[in-house]
This record gives sequence, structure tokens and C-alpha cells, in this order.
Amino acid sequence: MDKAAFYKLLKEKIVILDGATGTELQKRGMPKGACPEQWILENPHAILETQKAYKEAGADIVYAPTFGANRWKLKSFGLEDKVEEINIKLVQLSREAVGSDTLIAGNLSPTGEFIKPFGERAFEEAVDIYKEQVQALVDGGVDLFVIETMIDIQETRAALLAVKESTDLPVMVSMTFGEDEKTLTGTDPITAAITLEALGADAIGCNCSTGPKDMIPILKKIKSVAGVPVFVKPNAGLPVMKDGELFYDLGAEEFANFADEFVEIGINLIGGCCGTTPEYISFLKEKTKAITPKLWRESKICALTSVRKTVVMGENMPLVIVGERINPTGKKMLQQELLEGKLSEVRRLALEQQQKGASILDVNVGMPGIDEKKVMVDVVENLSTLSELPLCIDSSSSDVIEAALRIYPGRALINSISGEEKKLKKLLPIAAKYGAMFIALPLDDKEVPSTAEGRIKIIEKILEEAKKVGYGTQDMVVDGLVMTVSSDQKASLETLKVIEYAAKQLKTSSILGLSNISFGLPERQWLNSAFLMMAMAKGLNMAIANPSSENLMELKMAGDVLIGRDANCKNYIDYFAQSKPTSQSTNKQPKEENTSTKIYEAVLKGEKEDIEAYIQQALDEGMKPFSIVDELLIPAINKVGELYDKKEYFLPQLILSAEAMKTGFNYLEPLLLKEDSGRKKTKIIIATVKGDIHDIGKNIVGLMLKNYGFEVIDLGKDVPKEEILKQVKEQNVPIVGLSALMTTTMGEMGVVIDAAKKEGLKTKFMVGGAVVTKEFANEIGANGYAEDAIEAVRLAQTLEQ
Amino acid sequence: MDSTVRYFESIWIEPPMGRILYRLGYKKTKTKLDEHQREQIEKLIWEGVSHCHPKGAFLILPITDRTKDSVTIGKHLVESKSLTELLKNSEAVALMASTIGDEIIHAIEDEIKKENSVKAVIFDSTASQMADKTVAWVMDFINKSLQKEAKALTSMRFSPGYGDLDLKYQKIFFEELKLEKLGISLTETYMMTPEKSVTAICGVENRVRREDE
Ligand code: B12
Repeated sequence: MDKAAFYKLLKEKIVILDGATGTELQKRGMPKGACPEQWILENPHAILETQKAYKEAGADIVYAPTFGANRWKLKSFGLEDKVEEINIKLVQLSREAVGSDTLIAGNLSPTGEFIKPFGERAFEEAVDIYKEQVQALVDGGVDLFVIETMIDIQETRAALLAVKESTDLPVMVSMTFGEDEKTLTGTDPITAAITLEALGADAIGCNCSTGPKDMIPILKKIKSVAGVPVFVKPNAGLPVMKDGELFYDLGAEEFANFADEFVEIGINLIGGCCGTTPEYISFLKEKTKAITPKLWRESKICALTSVRKTVVMGENMPLVIVGERINPTGKKMLQQELLEGKLSEVRRLALEQQQKGASILDVNVGMPGIDEKKVMVDVVENLSTLSELPLCIDSSSSDVIEAALRIYPGRALINSISGEEKKLKKLLPIAAKYGAMFIALPLDDKEVPSTAEGRIKIIEKILEEAKKVGYGTQDMVVDGLVMTVSSDQKASLETLKVIEYAAKQLKTSSILGLSNISFGLPERQWLNSAFLMMAMAKGLNMAIANPSSENLMELKMAGDVLIGRDANCKNYIDYFAQSKPTSQSTNKQPKEENTSTKIYEAVLKGEKEDIEAYIQQALDEGMKPFSIVDELLIPAINKVGELYDKKEYFLPQLILSAEAMKTGFNYLEPLLLKEDSGRKKTKIIIATVKGDIHDIGKNIVGLMLKNYGFEVIDLGKDVPKEEILKQVKEQNVPIVGLSALMTTTMGEMGVVIDAAKKEGLKTKFMVGGAVVTKEFANEIGANGYAEDAIEAVRLAQTLEQ
Repeated sequence: MDSTVRYFESIWIEPPMGRILYRLGYKKTKTKLDEHQREQIEKLIWEGVSHCHPKGAFLILPITDRTKDSVTIGKHLVESKSLTELLKNSEAVALMASTIGDEIIHAIEDEIKKENSVKAVIFDSTASQMADKTVAWVMDFINKSLQKEAKALTSMRFSPGYGDLDLKYQKIFFEELKLEKLGISLTETYMMTPEKSVTAICGVENRVRREDE
């Protein structure tokens, strides 16, 4: 059967699929825990009866019982070398059961393994596992394929690619969504539908997990985006355990009653999953046989996906910002990391841009000295589980783009395809195979046209070629091509004409790499902003830019409102409700304060940047260093302590204030020493005891002690008692702070204290840590216990005296 | 569900902002934080998240024996009243583990060295909550997978080191889940490295139907 024949059938009638197979086999004696495929081959009557019954009930398509007949699944029964034989025989049995006038779908289902990036198995390995099964099913004589009960989008992509790369038979793809309307690994129905349709699924659906009622909202979502037929195989309601037996709570007739609603939504194929029987299918058939099916929309929508998010572009949609910062050009730090094979800067940039409001992340890792393909694949894998934003694959190499598209678990955007011969011949078919959207760059082998006319010609050529490989206008994004206005004052106008053409004539999306416009001129942000507004007015709906530029994001929000892309101004209001600070901080400024208040406030607010200048000002005004400490810094930090005790401040604020205080104190220190050499810092050793590796608590205590003027000697974590005592003696330290996190390690604190006493040391010990209590501290003979860092400082101050 | 260990190499976890702040002492009704500070802190949290690599593993094992205050899980005898109570309706358990890797640990150490203490404590809190949420994710994954069999995990989870479940039982997790595969190891004092790692156990019960279903 070819795709045309498949679609012809769907236009004639509601196509009925079969119901559950597993439960039918169990009724006919299949024991729990058996390998179904093997059992069927040993007991062929069971499947023959079952499938004959489904055919008689009215099924137009039955699924070959090859659900678990892939190498990884069969391996658990020691049958991994029989993949070919088992699949061929199972299809032959199905054929024997239903004859040649009922269609047989080769059934591919989860392998039971988890695929990268989410799991540990390589993507290509999974593709090969499915390919092996697909080939055998083709050899067995299936009419089409169904990939069903899928829980992970990446594994589904592997199965779909395996079919597409092996045969032209139609392929239906169905995922399982839970009560939260997501697959087990977090993909929603819209995102799944767009991703799978782009990769070539001929029909999309959902099966298993819930009954027909709960599937309706899911199906509506799929229908809202799908450009292919949609199908459904619900369970017979919800599973219930009764007397150790599993059964489903919805009867055959009730089940079939949902058919009306399915048809109404526009579903073209209906069957049943767990708990359904031939009776259910015959009711379904009865209900739907006189109905003319609705047709489906035959074009894709302009949208990109990641594993868990869809970004839709369109005339009335807000301007989409493509974050430009993952690009090593001109970024030393990023270059260095990429050379070393590290990705932490890439990861940081990804999340920062996401937080700042980018909707898509451009990924460019092209630079000398690295294996671009390998790095690109690494980055794409990393980002697809780190960020929820869809990616824009940006490279001049077709190979790099292909490698990235292959493993990217969503629908990506390609940056870019120009009118150059080699791009059209090589990259365009690759892009089409993976169903990616692409940016059409209006230049070719001959020129970079300076006029809109020249550019439009190239765009038309790219579109014509794209249509030959199956693309439509919604799959393309036109790049207006931004040239610097300082070298050609007409450059901006020509670009705007291209944008207008894309929006009004072609009705495609368009994009600009904004910042080029202002190259070579001062105060570039004004040109960039003005240009963005003009382009938006012409219909621009995407921009490659740095979302950390607040100026730009604010303009975008305003622009969306003014050209009707922000219904009820909602995004605008939300955006500015969140970022009140601009208006607040301007309110604050005019207030004149005297120098003392400034110093006090700087500590209170934790603003260490300015405190030195304020202190110098106070000194210039004649204030004594001691007075600054005693009358300003200390009262301020005490106030902070109070606020912290009342929980009006939390830890980061406490630390910020303490640091401001320390900065001030350090600035004054040389003067204080001059005034009074009597003020000497008390030494304190701190350590996390042997066997314990938790040191953030100890570090915070150390930090606060330092900020309050102690000289802290931090010995680190997992410190043996010998080391602690050695340091106490050598440096003549009066106070030691010990930290331990767990019951298994806190005993060591007692050991240290005992050893110190044995040696006759006079050092005082204070202890703390998550499980440490006052009682425990007393028990081991410590001189004090503190619950947190502020208490620790107070304790140290008492012990000091 | 079968009885092989399942590993998740890379899990997407949305940072639990509220819990991260709460761990740092933030109290919704009391703490006063201006928008500028909040923005700074959120930025640091996201930076912390970029250093986290959430991974997980789980295994379903049968309960093979039980007394008043002990259960035997597979071949391991575990003496704990509270665990025995938790598992009273279960015939099997799920052993789970999560980690977010050591990159964040090094990042925290670096920030401490550079005396960027605010960043260090925010990273630390972010890391703790990400590790915790990762094991919750694993639990959720198992729960959804069990739905088909009309089963569910106990809503409570338990961990060695809590209550009367001794830390020595960490060994069971390491033996059964082969946690070195996720890069986790156990010290002699039963501490896990990387530090931001969690082990947990739940019972597998028959799903009780809710009234409204
Ligand atoms: C966050 C947290 C986690 C996080 C991070 C853990 C980590 N090590 O970084 C995660 C989720 C990963 C985790 C895991 C586990 N945790 Co945990 N965890 C906590 C929790 C809630 C807070 C710990 C923390 O980081 N606090 C923040 C830091 C800054 O505070 P701190 O270290 O306590 O330091 C402060 C004070 O103690 C004091 N202080 C500290 N040192 C010193 C020293 C001196 C001299 C003084 C004066 C004061 C002082 O001042 C510090 C600053 O305020 C505690 C419970 C609690 N409320 O304390 C449980 C707790 C520590 N965890 C516990 C357990 C059991 C575990 C696990 C074993 C569970 C499991 N089976 O997976 C694992 C072990 C992890 C490992 N690496 O082995 C138990 C330990 C019980 C025990 N038997 O020892 C606790 C106590 C919870 C409980 N109530 O039972 N955990």
C-alpha cells in the first residue's frame, strides 16, 4: 500500500483499527510473564482466532502481534537472534487470520531501553534495532506500519526514522499521554504532533494509558496543529484490581459511544487498546459505518519544538527572539571552553537567555581548532535536556547541520540555506528529510544583492527548490539580510522591502540579525531599536538578538502591543509587572542623605560597591575611623542580625551585608591599627571533621566570622584530628570550630576534643552541623554549640572573652 | 515492570524556585526582598542550574519476608519499624537514586575560593533542591508507569538516615542499583559523593481508586 492509497481510504470512511491483543491471548491461555511473540508461534490458534474475530467485528486494519519483537526486548527471553524469523512468521500468521482484504500494520513499540540524551543508549543504536525489525516486517509482507504506545519522543523519532529509511510504506505514529497530558518523558501532544509530522509521520495519534474520555482534550490539541490524519486507540476506561485480576471499567457500548465525539473532532481512524475486545470493535464499527469522515488540513504549521515546548510563529504572534549568544565569535571564554571540550559556558548562556525571554536558542560552535560536528552534537544533546527552548542550528557546514538534526529531539530551525548551488542541492534535501524549518538567506554564488529585487529573486528560487523536496511556504523564514547603514544609507530601506514582501506577498515568517545595521556608528542601540520597530511594522516576526539587552526586550514588548500581536496587552503588562525595578530605583535617587546614613545604609542593604567611597568621604569630613566602626558599621550589622533573626532578611542578604561590612572594615583597618594597636584579631580554626565531606555550613560560619573581624584558619573538610591539633599548637589558636553533617560523622568531634584535652590544650571548642544539638555538644565536652552562622559569631565573641 | 535497573542519563528538572529560596531562609510573609535583589538571586539560581546534571536510577524488588519490625527486600534484611509500617500494603518496593553530578560541587568550591559567598550559598541551595526534585521525578516516572498495572507507589518515600532507618542500609542501594554507573560512590561513613545525591525507597501498592474516578 502506498501513502496515496492510505489517504484515499481515510477519505472514504472512518477506518476501524483492532482492539487489545494481549488480554485476548491471555484468555486463550497465555501465561503471565511469557514471551508473547514466542507463545504465539507455539500456539498459533490463539492469534488466528483473535485477529479473525477483529476482522469480523469490522476492523479495517489489524496490528501484527510484533509489539515486543525487537532485539532488545527479545533479549530478555534469550531470543535476540531470532528477530527476523519471529517477525516474518508473526506477519504470516496475521495474514492467515485476516486474508488479503484486511490491512496488516507492522507494529513497532518501545524497546524497553532509554535513549540518549534522556537515557544511556545511543540514538543510532536504537535506529538500527528498529531497522532490523522493520526489514523483517517488510519481508513478512505488512501493508503499513504503526509505531505505538511510545513514551519518549526520541525513541519515537528513532523508530520513525528507521521506517522512513527502509521503506515507503505509510507509517502511523502514536504516543501514550498520561493524566497530565504528557508522555512519560514530558512531551505534550502539540509538541509531539509537530515533531513527528515534520519527521514524516503519515498519521499521528494517541493510545493506551487512559480511557476515551480523557483522550478527548489530547486529541483536540493534536488536531489543532496536525497536517496529517489523526487516530486514536483508547483503553476500555481505567484499570481496576479486583481479586488480584486486572480489568477495565468501561463497557463495550459505553466505549463506542465516544465515537461520535471522536468523529466530530475530526479523527479518521479509531480502535481500542488495553481491555477492549472484538465486541468493542463491533460497536465502534456499527457507530461509524455510515459516517463520512472529516478531511484533515494538509499543510504544516509554522512552528518549532523542543522536547517539551512548541513555539508558533505567525502574523498575530509576538515577535520571537532568537537568542544569539551561543556563538564563539568574539567570546574568549566560550572559545577556550569549547577548545577544552567543556560546555558549562554554553549551558550558562542557554539558561540566561531563556530566563531573559528568548524563545529560541541559536547554536553556533564554528571556530578553528575544534571538531565542529562533534561539538555541535554534544551541545545539542546537552541543551535538549537542559533548556526547554527549541534550537536554531547555525553552521556553514551541511554535515554539521545534518548530524545535529538527526539527534535533535524536536523540530529545529536551520540557519541558513542560501541560493548557493551547493546549499540547494545538498542541504535542502537534508533539511527536508528531517522536516526542519529553515532560514532562507538571499544571496547566491554570484552576488549578495544590494537591492530588494535582487534578494526577492533569490528567495523565490530557494522556495521553488524547497517545494520540490516537499516544503511549503510555512516552513521557510526569510532573512531580510541586514547591511550596515553607515556604508550604504539605502541598505535599511532595501531590507525593509524584503521583510514586507515576505509578510505580505509570500506570507512567510521573516527574520533579521539586527545589530549589523549599526556597525561602525556610535550609540548603536538607537539604530538597532529604531530599525526593529520599522521592521516589525512591515511584518517582521523573528529577530536574532541578545535578549539580555533590556532596551530591546522592552521595545519588543511595546512593539507587539502596537501592532496587535499581544492580545489584551497581557504580555506587556506581565512583563512590566515583573520588572518594576526601573521605576522604583529612579524614585529612590533624589533623596539626599548625609554620609553617615549612606555608610549605615550600605551595610544594611549589602551594597559593597560604594562603601569605600562613602567611608573616604566621612574621613574627609573629619570622622574618626573608630567612630565609623563603632557608630556605623557595627550598629548596622547588628541591625542586620536582628532583621535576620526576625526572618525579614534571609541568608543571601545577611551575607551581602556582612561582606559590605567587611569591605568597609578592611578599608579602615590600616588607620585603626595606627590609632590603636591593641585591637588584635582573634584566631579561629574551623574544620569539617574526618569522614565528613559536607562543608558549606562550615564555610558560611567561617565567612561570617571573618566578616566580624576574626582571623579564620579554614582547614577544609575530612580533616584528621592530628592535623587540627597540630595547627592549634603551631599557631597558638584559642578557639576551634568543628562541623559535621551526619550522625555517622559527628562522633568524630568528640574524638578531637578528647585528644585535645589529653594533650592538655586550653583551646575552646565550638561545634555545629545539621544533626548536632546542644545536648550532644555538652556530652562531648564542647564549650559551645550554635545553630547557625550568626549564632556562631555570637558564640565566638563570648568564647573570646 | 521488570526487574532490571533503569538509568536516566539526563533528566530535565525545572528549578523549584520557591524551595530553593525557602532553604536559604526565605519566608514568604516575612522576608523583604526588593525586585532588584530578587532578579539577581534568580539569575544566580539559573546559573547554578546550568551546572547541574540530573541523573537517576531505579529498580523494583520484591519483599520476600517480613516480621513486626523488619522487612526483607530481595535478599536484604532491613530492620526499621517505620519502614516496615510504610511497606505494610506492599509486595514490592522501588529503590531509587538521584544525583546532579560533581560539576556544581566544583563550581561551589571555586566560588568559595573566590570569596563569592552569596553565589556559593545560592548554588548550594539550588543543587540540594535539584537533587531532591530529581528523585521526586524518578518517583513520578515509576508511578506513571505503574498506572497501567493499576499499581502505585506509596505517597511517602523513605531514605537511609531518616528516622530509624540506619544509614548503613545505603549499601543496599549501591549493591542493587550499581550507583557507580551514575558516578556516585559511598564513603566509609556512608556519605555519598558527589554530595548532592539522594537515595530513596517506596512501596509498590495496588492503586486505590479515588472517589471521583
Ligand atoms: C539540604 C539537605 C540535603 C541535600 C544536600 C545535602 C548536602 N550534603 O549538601 C540533599 C537533598 C542532596 C540531601 C541528601 C541526603 N541527606 Co540530607 N539534608 C539536607 C538538610 C535539609 C539541610 C542540610 C544543609 O545543606 N543545610 C544548609 C547548610 C548551610 O547548613 P549546615 O550545613 O547545617 O550548616 C549550618 C549550621 O549547621 C551551622 N554549622 C555548621 N557547621 C558548623 C560548625 C560550627 C563550629 C558551628 C558553631 C555551627 C555550624 O551553621 C551553618 C550555617 O547556618 C538537612 C536537614 C537540616 N535541616 O539540616 C538534611 C540532613 C542532613 N540529611 C539527612 C540525610 C539522611 C540525607 C541522606 C543520607 C538521605 C539519603 N539517603 O539520600 C542524603 C545524604 C547525601 C550524601 N551526600 O551522602 C539527615 C541526616 C541524618 C543523619 N542520620 O545523619 C538530615 C539531618 C535530615 C534529617 N532530619 O534527618 N540532603
